[in-house]
Amino acid sequence: MTVVPPAAIETLALVECQNAARTFGSGAQTVVAVHSASCRIEPGQTVALVGVSGSGKSTLLNLLAGLDIPSKGSVTWPTIGARASLRPGPVGVVFQTPSLLPPLNVVENVALPLLLGGVARVEADARARGSLDRLGLHWLADKLPEELSGGQAQRVAVARVLAGTPRLILADEPTGQLDRAAAAEVMDALLGAAEFIGAGLLVSTHDEQIAERLAIRWQMTDGRLQTESDSACLR
Amino acid sequence: MLALTWIQGLIAHRRGRLVAASLGVAVAVALLASIGTFLSTSKATMTSRSVATVAIDWQVEAQSGTDPAAVTDALRATPSVVATAPVGFAETTGLTATTAGPGGTNTTQSTGPGVVLGLPGDYRNLFPDVIRDLSGAPSGVLIAQQTAANLHVGPGDTVTVGRAGLDPVSIRVDGIVDLPQADSLFQHVGAPAASQPQAPPDNVILMPDTQWHTLFDPLAATGADLVRTQVHTRLDHALPTDPVAAYDAVVRQAHNLEARLHGGGVVGDNLGATLASARADALYAQVLFLFLGLPGAILAGLLTTAVASAGATRRRQDQALLRTRGATTSQLTRIAVIEALAVGGLGSAMGLLGALAVGRLAFGTVGFGGSLRTAAWWVAAAVIAGIAIAVASIAMPARRDARSLTIAAARQSVGRARNPRWMRFGLDFWLIALALAVFWLTSQSGYKLVLAVEGVPTISVSYWAFAGPALLWVGAALVTWRLTTVFLKRGRTPLGTMLRPVAGGLADTVAAAMGRQRRLLATGAVLVALTASFATSTAVFNSTYHHQAAIDAALTNGADVRVTQSPGGIVGPDQAATLATIPGVKSVEAIQHRYAYVGNDLQDLFGVNPTTVVGATKLVDGYFQGGTATEVMGRLAAQPDALLVSDETVKDYQLNLGDPIKLRLQDNQTKQLVDVAFHYAGVAKEFPTAPHDSFLIANADYVAKATGSNAVGSFLIVTSGSSPTEVANRVRDQVGTTASVTDIGSSKRLIGSSLTAVDLSGLTRVELGFALVLAAASTGLVLWLGLAERRRTFAIAAALGATARQLGGFVWAEAALIAGVGLVAGAISGWALSAMLVKVLTGVFDPPPDVLTIPWGYLSVLVVVALGSVALAAGAAVRATRRASIAMLRAA
Repeated sequence: MTVVPPAAIETLALVECQNAARTFGSGAQTVVAVHSASCRIEPGQTVALVGVSGSGKSTLLNLLAGLDIPSKGSVTWPTIGARASLRPGPVGVVFQTPSLLPPLNVVENVALPLLLGGVARVEADARARGSLDRLGLHWLADKLPEELSGGQAQRVAVARVLAGTPRLILADEPTGQLDRAAAAEVMDALLGAAEFIGAGLLVSTHDEQIAERLAIRWQMTDGRLQTESDSACLR
Repeated sequence: MLALTWIQGLIAHRRGRLVAASLGVAVAVALLASIGTFLSTSKATMTSRSVATVAIDWQVEAQSGTDPAAVTDALRATPSVVATAPVGFAETTGLTATTAGPGGTNTTQSTGPGVVLGLPGDYRNLFPDVIRDLSGAPSGVLIAQQTAANLHVGPGDTVTVGRAGLDPVSIRVDGIVDLPQADSLFQHVGAPAASQPQAPPDNVILMPDTQWHTLFDPLAATGADLVRTQVHTRLDHALPTDPVAAYDAVVRQAHNLEARLHGGGVVGDNLGATLASARADALYAQVLFLFLGLPGAILAGLLTTAVASAGATRRRQDQALLRTRGATTSQLTRIAVIEALAVGGLGSAMGLLGALAVGRLAFGTVGFGGSLRTAAWWVAAAVIAGIAIAVASIAMPARRDARSLTIAAARQSVGRARNPRWMRFGLDFWLIALALAVFWLTSQSGYKLVLAVEGVPTISVSYWAFAGPALLWVGAALVTWRLTTVFLKRGRTPLGTMLRPVAGGLADTVAAAMGRQRRLLATGAVLVALTASFATSTAVFNSTYHHQAAIDAALTNGADVRVTQSPGGIVGPDQAATLATIPGVKSVEAIQHRYAYVGNDLQDLFGVNPTTVVGATKLVDGYFQGGTATEVMGRLAAQPDALLVSDETVKDYQLNLGDPIKLRLQDNQTKQLVDVAFHYAGVAKEFPTAPHDSFLIANADYVAKATGSNAVGSFLIVTSGSSPTEVANRVRDQVGTTASVTDIGSSKRLIGSSLTAVDLSGLTRVELGFALVLAAASTGLVLWLGLAERRRTFAIAAALGATARQLGGFVWAEAALIAGVGLVAGAISGWALSAMLVKVLTGVFDPPPDVLTIPWGYLSVLVVVALGSVALAAGAAVRATRRASIAMLRAA
């Protein structure tokens, strides 16, 4: 286990959670989805967030992506910036279900985050095509999302993340609806993308084979997070 | 069981979709039921009003050799006959009277042939509307107003009555009367239905039947066919409420009577003739229902379909899930039918409640029609229509999907579909071409939609004429769809440029997204266009109708207020100055009214001041032929003996401009007819206060000089912004009983409620109100539902980092396209439809309009409602995207 001095943590962490909790509802109906989680991801790290369905993996991932706000504790992005500046740009998210916009074709979908970030259309188009090429998906460029298989759609979603050259990639059960072969292709794409741009990667999954492809393993059980620092037996 | 579970699921999770679709059905049901109420109450009103206008229901004329008593007996044996009175008609060779002239000299006036009526003592009680007292005693020897004027006699004077082959007899006049229904009173009973109406006699005297028998039984004894007897009859007016049924009932009774009289009597069926006219009006009401009501109901049906199809993607996905779990096609169809029946039932109930409220507000009715039967009919028809709309918009598409779509295809929402077949075949252009062809063919028959020949029991409506506007409406909608889809597909570059102000750097992406959703967007735009077109054409038609009614009222009354001098009363033009001092009076114009002979034809002559009459009476150019009102009056002013005549007179006498015409006018001094020379200067088709048939217009000064009298027939008063009714009351207080005072408001009410025109006011309120509701729904509701269906799309965009402004770019671009294209296309097709509707429905206008009257106020409200509704919907959608749920991102 690596011991990092506090000052170095401040400079190296892409995202850091300190006692972050997320509850839904109120009174007797209160559901605690995440209990006081503390964790951090550094550049180049690949993390598997493992747990059964309903264990709170997606909620934690949404907190790390800045899509949700913790009820207690804090989530910060020390080397990236404030929550409002995460997307489009430094943080890329791949969702469990195909998240391509139906009326845009593949290349337009891939270019969309760049355009949202103010990149000029011509440059955005070139970067989108480059990203598709990198993942061997250039032949899908003019297809509509409804013309893609589930695996293709998820790989295009990865290409969309890759085009934005984010520093942190968060993937929420990206292979959950795919068969084994397609899941492997998506994981190849994700790992390749993260490596290519040197980004930190977190993949939530309940699939042990997927988890084994990632360097670090975090366990989520009933909303409680166990990281490597908590237990050496995780890997 | 599956169906029950499904419905429970819909109520729990798709409540908004169910309620929105039910509201669409409710609008259609409410519109149909409301207009049905209008139709049935209008028909009932037409029957009762037309019956009330008839003074003598039947005039049964005893034929030569038949004892009138036998006719009376046969009538009394007829169950519906309430009262009878035998009336003698005798023809006189002429009337003569000698009266005192100016300076103490006596003058003798003579008339041509006339008619003397012998009335039983209780006649005026039985038929109170036949005779109207003007002056003198109400009984004894009564002389018609025009005859009294011709002979210059009044109560107490003596008139000599000529009898063919016998000595003339002298009688003393007791009173002067008006015969308001002289046309039917003196009709030629038994004349063929197609024959020209016979003008009533110029000279008429009425007397008690005892006196009449004394004078004319000797004439009857000579054997000459100069004396006849009619039995005037009053019927029980408990008739069916529908004019067509009432007409049939009355005519059947008349035919039955004639059969029982074996040729001994012929029925002059005044009630039947009036109901014949009413049944034509009833059919016009039906025509208006079809023209103005059905499109609204169809539109509401389309809206329901749009609402239902806004949820079609989700429904398909639901179906796909059910199919993967083993649901059969018939099970899927069954649950869709149950959903449709639930929507249809709920919508119908809401619609009927709405129609009751609308009926009470717009028509003052508390039910759905004139009788229980019609109410039941309309309720059933509206509910069936509502359920049919629900089935067509929900169950049928679902069944089609269940039968033909693959599971994978069912999950698609955009697709690269080919152009629809109708577009490839150019159906839209064919429809417009057909519409124009039908319109042209209809115009060849003079736009006579309703053909009701008097005396003929069958009545026909040219429903073929509906095809013109209907085809144009549909054709224009399809052209709008074609142009919108072609533009969205091929015009992405210009669209991107146009969208830059709202979408910024995303403009090209938004344009691309819109291009791929072109079918959805074009459907929205077409719906807006159809609604705008319907609302525009209805509003323009209604306002043109009311404008023409106002013109008709202005023609009838002459001005805001009209003061008509009593017959015999001589008032000069100087009284105009006195009337002008009454508060609220802006100007007063004196119009002379005389009778003049053109050859043997007696016509009304109006003497006017051509320099002031143009402004005073709001003369319209369309009243004249061969020049504007100002130009024609200018001709009159330039030439003192100029005369304007009717077109009919020009044809009868082969007149050319400048030809001399001699009229015979009564000289005020001698009371004799004198020849007065005029020159033909133009044609007048209409003139304020003038009758619809032939009349003459001349310079008042010239007529006064030629006849020695400047007596005024009526004063036309223009008010200075005050209510004409209030000013009329003030004028009435001043002139007392010496003149009758009428205002334009009462004329409008008379015209609006008469059977020559269908009362549109209630229909107008309902139509225009529904049009606004439909406009709001077609723009806002449909847009919002479409956007709501794509909440996940916006949630994804938000998760990718789109700002509220960038998300707004997507929403506002769609909203702008749907509203912009829809309103512009709707305005163009609405204008074309209005022009076509007004032409096709020429029969309901009197007089027919020259130009359309555009209701700018209503149309502005319509645009504001449509744009406001779009803004609300788009604003709500943008707000919803800001709250984009994370859960939505995980939804399949």
